[in-house]
Amino acid sequence: MSPVLEQPVVAVSRPPTRMWLRILLRPEAAAVFFILVLIVVFGAAANGFFTLGNAQNIVDQVAIVGIIALGMNEVILAGEIDISVGSGVALTSAVAAKTAADHHTGLLLTTLVAVGAGTAIGMVNGFLVTKARIPSIIVTLASLNALRGATNLYNPTGVPSVPENVRAFGRGSVLGLNSAIIVLLAAFVIMGVVTRHTTWGRELPAIGGNERAARLAGLPPDRFRWVAFAVLGACVGIASMVTIGEVGSVQPTAATGLELQVIAAVVIGGTSISGGRGLITAAVAGALLLGTLLNGSNLLGLQERWQSLFIGAVILIAIGSDVVRRRMLERLVTS
Amino acid sequence: MTTARVADRVKTPGFGREAVLLIVLIGLIIAMAQASPLFLTLDNLLDTSRYFVETGLIALGMTLVIITGGIDVSVGSTLALASVTIGFTYQAGVPLIVAVVLGVLVGTACGIFNGVLTAVWDMHPLAITIATLSFFRGIAIAITNENAVSSFPNWFGLFGQGAVGQVPNQLFVFVVAAVIVWFVLHRTVLGRRIFALGLSQQVARFSAVRTVRIKVFVYAITGLLAGIAAVIYTSRVSTARSDAGTGLELQVIAAVVLGGASVRGGAGSIGGTILGLLIISVLNQGLLLTSINSNWTLVIIGAVMIVGVFINEFFRRRQE
Repeated sequence: MSPVLEQPVVAVSRPPTRMWLRILLRPEAAAVFFILVLIVVFGAAANGFFTLGNAQNIVDQVAIVGIIALGMNEVILAGEIDISVGSGVALTSAVAAKTAADHHTGLLLTTLVAVGAGTAIGMVNGFLVTKARIPSIIVTLASLNALRGATNLYNPTGVPSVPENVRAFGRGSVLGLNSAIIVLLAAFVIMGVVTRHTTWGRELPAIGGNERAARLAGLPPDRFRWVAFAVLGACVGIASMVTIGEVGSVQPTAATGLELQVIAAVVIGGTSISGGRGLITAAVAGALLLGTLLNGSNLLGLQERWQSLFIGAVILIAIGSDVVRRRMLERLVTS
Repeated sequence: MTTARVADRVKTPGFGREAVLLIVLIGLIIAMAQASPLFLTLDNLLDTSRYFVETGLIALGMTLVIITGGIDVSVGSTLALASVTIGFTYQAGVPLIVAVVLGVLVGTACGIFNGVLTAVWDMHPLAITIATLSFFRGIAIAITNENAVSSFPNWFGLFGQGAVGQVPNQLFVFVVAAVIVWFVLHRTVLGRRIFALGLSQQVARFSAVRTVRIKVFVYAITGLLAGIAAVIYTSRVSTARSDAGTGLELQVIAAVVLGGASVRGGAGSIGGTILGLLIISVLNQGLLLTSINSNWTLVIIGAVMIVGVFINEFFRRRQE
C-alpha cells in the first residue's frame, strides 16, 4: 500500500532529493527555522543586531538556561520532568557562595561543592521518582517549594558579595569569548559525547518512548532515570557557579521561575515533552531561540512589559509549527 | 478486566482513602489546637475559610483535568488576567457588574484556549499550559503596565469580604460549586466519560467518547472557576494587579493530588480534593499561628505532599 515501503532502496540511493525531508525530520527544525526568521526580522528592523558583540550578548544571556536545559533534555527524554531547578539554583548558589565566603575555599573546591550539592538534590528527586514511585511532576512540585523554603532558612539575608576568586565562571573572557559561553560550550560538548557514546545516553530515549519495551530489551529504566536526575542536578550545580560569577551576590529569591525558561527552551528546541523523541542540540537551539527573541525585542525598544507575552507566544508558535511539521511528515509518509 | 475495575470504582469511590485523609485532617486539627489556643475557635476556622476558597474553586476544576490525565499549570495566570480584566475595564468606565461578568468570561476563554490547543494539537498539556502560564500573565502585565486598580465601590466587597452572620459569603459560592462539580463527576454519564478518558484515551475513543469535547470541557470549567475565584480574590484584596495568583497552581495541584487524584489519570474524587484542600489550609493557617518561621511551612507542605502521594500510589498499586 505504501510506496515508501516498496522502494526503500531508491530512497537510500538518492539521498540528495530527499535532503529537505531529512532536514525536516530533525526535531529542532522548527526552532532553527524560527531563529533564522527572527535574525532576518531583527536584522532588518533593529540597529546593532548584526554585530559580533551582540551575537556574544545573546549566547551570554542564555548560558545559564542552556546549561540546565542540557540536563533537562535528558530528564524529559526519559519521560520525566523536573520543575524544581529554579529553587535548586537558588540553594546551590547559596551553598557555594557561603562556603567560599566562610571557609575561603578556592575555585575548584567551591565548584565541587556546588556540583555536589546540585547532584545530591537531583539524586533525592530521582530517588523519590524511581524508588518511591511518585510521579516526577509531584516530586519536583514539592521540592520546588521545599528547596525555596530551605534556601530562605539557610540564606535569609542573602550573600551580599561573593569572593572574587570563585566568580571565574561568570566573569572575564578567554580568547575573546565570555567565560559563561565557554562553560556552555564545554557542557554541550561533554553532554554531546556522553549521549552519543555511552549506553545511558543512547538508550535513555528508549525508556521515555516505551518503558516496557526498554525493560524487555534488557535496559534498567529506574537506574537510567535516576542517573538522568543526577546529571540534571550536576548541570544545576555548574549553572549556579555561572550565576554567582555573573551576579556577584546571592539573593534568596534568585532564579525564581527559571524552570519555565529551561523547560520552554527544551520544548521549543523540539524535544517531545512526552519523552522518547529529541536530541541534545534541541536544548541549545531552544535556548538560543529564547535568547535571540529577548535580545531582539530589547533592541527594538520593546519594554520589559511585553517579555512574558512574547515568550509565551513563541513557545505556542513553536509547538504549533512542530505539530504542523509532524502532520506534514505523516502525510508524506502515508501518501 | 478493565470493566470489572471500573465497576469496582463505581461501587466504592475511594472511600478507604478518604477515610484515611479524614483521620489525618482530624489529627492535624488536634495537633494545631495543642500548638495554639487560638486555632480551634469558630472565628479562626471561618476566617481560614476566606483564604482557601479561591484555591478550592480552582482545585475543583483541576480535579477534573487531572482525572483525564491532564494538568493545568496556567491557573494562577488565568486568575491574574481575569482579575486585571475586572479592574481595568471598570476603570475604563464599564459598569462594575459587567466588568465582573467579563472577568469570568475571560477566565473561561483562557480555559477553552488551553483545552482546544491541548486536544486539537494532541500535545501534552504541560507544554501548552507552561506556555500559557507565561502568555496569560504576559497579557496581564502588558495591559496594566504593572499598575494597579484599587478603587472599587463598597458593594464590590460583597464577594470577598462580606459575610452572612459569621459565615463568609465566598464559602457559600464554594459549597454550591463543589456540589455541582461533585454531581457532574460522580453522578452523570459525563463524569464516567471523564474517568474513562483518563483510564485510556484510546479505549475511550473506541467507545464513542468524544475525547476532544471532554478535554475542552474540563479545561473550560477550570478556567470558569478560575474566573470566579478572580472575582472573589479581587473583591477580598480590593486590588487588581498583574501579579495576582503567582504560584497559586502549586497549592491547587497540591490539594488535588493529596486528595488522591492520580496525575497518571483515571483516579480522583471531589471529596478527596476537598479533604486535601482542608489539610493544606489547616497546615498553612496552623503554622502561621504557631510562631514557626514561615519558611518551614513551605518545607512541611512539600514533605506532606510527597508522603501523601506516596501513600496514595502505594495503595493504588496494591489494589491493582
